[in-house]
Amino acid sequence: MAPLVEITGLHKSFGKVEVLKGVDCEIERGEVVAVIGPSGSGKTTMLRCVNLLERPSAGRIEVDGRVLCEEQPDGKMKFAPKDAIREAREHVGMVFQRFNLFPHMTALHNITEAPMAVKGASKQDAESRAHELLESVGLGHKADAYPLQLSGGQQQRVAIARALAMDPTLMLFDEVTSSVDPELAGEILLVMKRLAEQGMTMLVVTHEMGFAAEVADRALFIDHGLVVEQGKAADLLGNPQHQRTRAFLRAVLDRAPMEESDEPVRSPEEIKSQTERELLLQQQKVERIAKEDGG
Amino acid sequence: MDWQLVWDSFPLIWKGAQFTITLTAWSLLFGTAGALVLALMRLSSVKLLRWFAAGFGWLFRGIPLLILLFFAFFALPDLNVGPVDGVLLEPFQAAVLALSFWTAAYQAEVIRSGIIAVDPGQAEASEALGMTKAHYMRKIIIPQGLRIMVPPYIGNSMTLLKQTSLTTLVTVPEMTLLTQRLFSNDFQFQERIAALAILYLALTTVFVVAQQVMERSFRLKV
Repeated sequence: MAPLVEITGLHKSFGKVEVLKGVDCEIERGEVVAVIGPSGSGKTTMLRCVNLLERPSAGRIEVDGRVLCEEQPDGKMKFAPKDAIREAREHVGMVFQRFNLFPHMTALHNITEAPMAVKGASKQDAESRAHELLESVGLGHKADAYPLQLSGGQQQRVAIARALAMDPTLMLFDEVTSSVDPELAGEILLVMKRLAEQGMTMLVVTHEMGFAAEVADRALFIDHGLVVEQGKAADLLGNPQHQRTRAFLRAVLDRAPMEESDEPVRSPEEIKSQTERELLLQQQKVERIAKEDGG
Repeated sequence: MDWQLVWDSFPLIWKGAQFTITLTAWSLLFGTAGALVLALMRLSSVKLLRWFAAGFGWLFRGIPLLILLFFAFFALPDLNVGPVDGVLLEPFQAAVLALSFWTAAYQAEVIRSGIIAVDPGQAEASEALGMTKAHYMRKIIIPQGLRIMVPPYIGNSMTLLKQTSLTTLVTVPEMTLLTQRLFSNDFQFQERIAALAILYLALTTVFVVAQQVMERSFRLKV
């Protein structure tokens, strides 16, 4: 079977600044791919190109058999018609760094709006599905809450449920834990971990190295607009081959200033046990909260 | 000041107040409808529409309202551009025409700024969910923009109500004109003008209250 996502020779410039300089990436169905890299490396831009929130300057993107854009022989970019792009987006869920929930709608309404407007779902069907999804992200009791009444972690879980309500074949995650308090990141990662276990295809831009090591099948290290290194997530994170990758991982894991070094970073086992411990703690916390709220 | 005379002025001016109110209401209705269209044109991806809307705003915000009124009432009948023949309007009609153009130009800026003040992440999230632009403008962006638009929209509306006093000069028998007639007959300037000011205040207070009610109902639940 063809890969779900095929990105070839992706370039993107903002004015004179070239952010992506020829990125290639394929994602198989059911695969979880983590994209890591320093700030400004182009990883978020790459993710946003997949559903054409950012229009590539050059390159080809195909998602689930739909060609969203490609270069013509004369070098000009040809984009799919507006309506085809909109239709393709129905099947690609996206979760943003800053949630982007609709603040004037309840959690439930945030989730039901798109299925009703876009897929023509009945209010009753959309709402019962939304309740299920809220339950599955541990927020069954928050259906009537407005976004600003929820914590960052809760808002982001509603945002995940909102994306899932469209029954996407691919989920894009753009640094989804970066704007929540550190102690709330675990509850979001837990939801994502379960989603991965259910076989969802996921492209995850993240700074959560433990999560990448544990949940992702494959990891991509992007720097200065190019894929520097890629491979099995645990290998890339535990035993990076490239100097830039090592320097980056050291900077992230040890909160050290980023400089090139030959020191080994950390073994995959170490990273994994650290994540597992964190996830377990979060799981216990989430379940305890759920119990308290439910009881 | 003879407060009894102030009190007795009200019924005499009231007939004019009805003109003030209907002038304001019609101009606000047509003006706001036009403003919405102009604002969407300004935000359109079609250059011609953007230019038209920008030109409209430049023209009708740049010319004094009094001159717009004079034009609609005195100059329009003599207008002769190509196939367009002059139109003779009743004073009230001419006033509504000029006030509507003026209101549209100002409120368009209010609506446009309200829309662009909404976090662009809202449009992105809507697009990522596959919504059409028409749908998310209506359900996501404009409802959030309303909250931002209320204070300046009401401000312009209050200005409109007060500016209807200028229509005196194109002979609309609104309350300023009636008051003028009163005090030029009896020279009771203080009392007549006080009564007029009180009526304007009473009418603008309606907007002040409306603003409070709207702000409360658009407030985000936290």
